[in-house]
Amino acid sequence: MHSAVQRANTAATIAAILLATICAAASFLDAFNSPSLQAHVQVVKINRFRRQLDGNDEVKMTLKMSMDLTSLFTWNTKQVFVFLAAEYETDTNSLNQVLLNYISFLYLLISISFISVLIYYFFFKVSLWDHIVQEKERASFQVKVPTKYPLIDQGTNLRGKKVGLVLHWHIMPISGRMIQGKMPLSNFSLPDSYTTRS
Amino acid sequence: MAGRSEFSASARGVSNCSTQSYLCRGDSHVFPSSPVLKARINEMDWQGQKHAEMLMQIFLVFSAVAAFGAGYLMHDFRLMMLIYAGGVVLTALVTVPNWPYFNRHPLKWLDPSEAEKHPKPQVSNITSSSSSKKKASKNK
Repeated sequence: MHSAVQRANTAATIAAILLATICAAASFLDAFNSPSLQAHVQVVKINRFRRQLDGNDEVKMTLKMSMDLTSLFTWNTKQVFVFLAAEYETDTNSLNQVLLNYISFLYLLISISFISVLIYYFFFKVSLWDHIVQEKERASFQVKVPTKYPLIDQGTNLRGKKVGLVLHWHIMPISGRMIQGKMPLSNFSLPDSYTTRS
Repeated sequence: MAGRSEFSASARGVSNCSTQSYLCRGDSHVFPSSPVLKARINEMDWQGQKHAEMLMQIFLVFSAVAAFGAGYLMHDFRLMMLIYAGGVVLTALVTVPNWPYFNRHPLKWLDPSEAEKHPKPQVSNITSSSSSKKKASKNK
């Protein structure tokens, strides 16, 4: 520690280690935050339910949502990414290459081991709408909005399907690991026939 | 910590002032010497270094704890970062430069004139005498 440069080096190193410590402490305290949020979603109407030219079903609808995400925010939160997912199940005989849930992947492994089983069971989760909330003051809102992304099925399985809506959120902290959570909301059923012919 | 001229100078027993500035020449009474100027030229002594290191650790830990507490209570991450940065800058200002406060117990180095009266022992004489001793024992 003889020269000023050595002392500056030591000070910078200790300062960096302590900075990591206080950021880790801030992130650690986030784990004690138990969020209790309320959300409600309702399908106002199905705008369009058609079959696309390449053979896939497509649904566009208008949703009325109200949610209160303020309990997700701590002092260590940078932003919250919230999205609404539509979940539905299909039975199909064809091998689809799209969007396997991990449950369905496990089912696929088990079913491959029994060669006689030919029915594959898929569970789809498609995002309909998302939003980024960056401040706690703007975390409670109500919107009536058409879906940002249409519900497109790889196949023609959506007629008369019972679809469940689940609200997912990703809390992105300023320092630390991203926290995910979800909350199931209401279900609704799609009509039995296409509303407009493609 | 090798390679600095001060250390080789101190091994020779001369003053550890590396520059030929007016503060080392002995006529510093002529010029004004502020602490900032002294900090740029003089070094710290051993007690001062230990004191400076202790102060650095205490200041840094205290500013980290104070920053975290203030940020947690005020629910503001940015405030925590600002307080911590201020604490780090304060620590650097207090600890890093060679303030004269850290040089209050300077070591008394030998005068150059005194050092010449007591020259260092010559190492080559010893090895030649030991080799002659070895030769004598071998011959026996």
